[in-house]
Amino acid sequence: MLVNVKGLVKRYDKLVALDYLDLQVEEGEIFGLLGPNGSGKTTAINCILSLIRYDKGSIEIFGKPMKPNAYDIKRNIGIIMQNVAVFEELTVYENIYYFCSLYIKDKIEVKRLTREAIEFVSMEDYADFYPKKLSGGLLRRLNIACGIAHKPKLIILDEPTVAVDPQSRNKILEGIKKLNAEGATIIYTSHYMEEVEQICSKIAIIDKGRVIVQGTKEELKAMISLGEKITMELYELPEKNINELKEFPGIYSVEYHENLLEIKSAKGRNNLIHILDYMAKNNIIFGKVYTELPTLNDVFLEITGKELRD
Amino acid sequence: MSLGLYFMRVKCLLRNMEGIFWCYIFPIILSTCLYLGVSKLGAVEEFETIKIAYVVGEAQTELSKEAGTAVSQEQAELSHEVGTAVGHNELLSVMKAAKLSEDKYMFDITLCSSKEAVDLLEKGDIEAYIIGGDRPELFIKENGLNETIVKSFVDSYMQKQITIKNILVSNPEALNNGLIDDLIGQTDFVDISDKHKKPDNIIIYFYAILAYTCIFASNWGLEEVINIEADQSMRGARISASPVSKMRLFACNMLASYTCHIISVILLFLYMKFVLNVKFGDELAYLIAICLAGSLTGLLMGASIGFWIKKKPAIKEAIIIAFSLGCSFLSGMMAVEIKYYVTEKFPLLAYINPVNLITDAMYSLYYFDGHNRYFINLMLLMLMAAVFTVASYFGIRRRNHDSI
Repeated sequence: MLVNVKGLVKRYDKLVALDYLDLQVEEGEIFGLLGPNGSGKTTAINCILSLIRYDKGSIEIFGKPMKPNAYDIKRNIGIIMQNVAVFEELTVYENIYYFCSLYIKDKIEVKRLTREAIEFVSMEDYADFYPKKLSGGLLRRLNIACGIAHKPKLIILDEPTVAVDPQSRNKILEGIKKLNAEGATIIYTSHYMEEVEQICSKIAIIDKGRVIVQGTKEELKAMISLGEKITMELYELPEKNINELKEFPGIYSVEYHENLLEIKSAKGRNNLIHILDYMAKNNIIFGKVYTELPTLNDVFLEITGKELRD
Repeated sequence: MSLGLYFMRVKCLLRNMEGIFWCYIFPIILSTCLYLGVSKLGAVEEFETIKIAYVVGEAQTELSKEAGTAVSQEQAELSHEVGTAVGHNELLSVMKAAKLSEDKYMFDITLCSSKEAVDLLEKGDIEAYIIGGDRPELFIKENGLNETIVKSFVDSYMQKQITIKNILVSNPEALNNGLIDDLIGQTDFVDISDKHKKPDNIIIYFYAILAYTCIFASNWGLEEVINIEADQSMRGARISASPVSKMRLFACNMLASYTCHIISVILLFLYMKFVLNVKFGDELAYLIAICLAGSLTGLLMGASIGFWIKKKPAIKEAIIIAFSLGCSFLSGMMAVEIKYYVTEKFPLLAYINPVNLITDAMYSLYYFDGHNRYFINLMLLMLMAAVFTVASYFGIRRRNHDSI
């Protein structure tokens, strides 16, 4: 196990930020820490990195207890913060070089790694630019390059795509997958479920400082009753038809609002064909029809009773 | 590695335009403004040769009437006071011989008729004219410094002439006893202070600017703490998560800051000395030494505030600016009387004010022969630096924070 967090408790006066948090990250994983804003994701990361004190619990990284002066552990960790953490007075190249030189002593090696990091984030054309001349997306890429230049075994990314344009976001996500493919273990925190779903091999959903579920996305989705969500555009649907639809086997929720019919069915039941058949027999005219498999938001909703983005 | 970190930090500091402005440019602007604004106050007014006219051998009454039509009645009355007492044209030869310095005469005398004299006075070509004769008369157009000098000269001449005449009549023997020499001779009493320097309040303002610049290093000290502390900046968080010893990184960064800052102080000093021609005296090595100590104290003070005051960086910056300006104010940067007042009424405050210690050390170098006072100030400053070093050491030893 690469990272083992057990019973972590962190209080800010009366507020419990982490409530006996447990996390286990295996080598080679992209581990997603998903939760709404204020759920304790960043606090957990700060505790894991020994940047802040915690009240209870233990943290082990690479099988050793993590402490503020555990330099041998820190040497193999890369950190990409939520906000851009670079020097305004240094160019892109110099920033990456500086942060890389905090980890690597050999100057030639640092130069080589700096070049590689610039290539990795596709910023060759911006190497001599100062950060204030870069767009938000490029700044994020520079931020990532500063965190990964020294080729760490464990990379922690704390919401790296906040306020990033879609193009840069895709580049960042592709980069994370590439880093993982090259052998790095990733801890990725976000409140964007699509991102976590897209790249993470294992996910922990966190709320109020506590892990509420943990597993692969398939495992998480298997934990809830929802199997399929069918949405139809309808101009009119009498109450009688709604009640008849509710009688279908496997269907447990039928709602009609603003010309949209939303039918939720239990997993393992393909109800679409039966519903279409029912509509045809009853001469109910419908427009677009789409079906969705459950998302992590549905998982969060079913477990906590609230939306992930609340 | 440490050398690399040091040079990278130097690069950062020298590219930080805001820091460069406040530390390199602003003190130069301030000292230039001071130079342009107040340095003239200390300058000695240089006397110029006074242009006058002298009318020789004309009937006095008639001339007086003519002159009276040209100048105001009031001024004519004023000059009449002198005129009634003045005797022969010997006055002319005395005035011709009078000198301001070895190569500069006191009066530039034009001999002319009374009519020409009136014209010259009206045009402003001369400051006054004198009508010679048994009862010389002085005519002026305005009351001013030069007019006063002419009148004083004529008064003094006439008074001595009358005195000598009286002595000759009543006691001619007195002439053999050197009485004439006593009457003619003049003794000046000039106060020579220590080290042959005149008291110069203006230079204290320049000292205060130098001292302020030294203490401004506190901003740079604070910046170094902000850059490495996880609870102060994201850069600090990233650096804290790296495997480099914070103590070593802090030492490298502080050394870089000190280097850049002391360069700014030396540049300011050179600018004051060679461009503004501020007379700092002969003991420049001592002066630079106190600047080095002041800059170090400022840097460490800023770092201590950064470590120990639990506020946001912006609040800490405000505290440091207010503190630096407050110390500078109390050490006479705005009004030198405040420095004297604080030293006299609140000596303890003067001893714990680093800006005051710096200015006082510079002041003592300029005015006093010995170095006792200078070394007391230097030692107090170094003591402060030592206290701030200990505070910074314990500040950086804290491994992590309650929150970031």
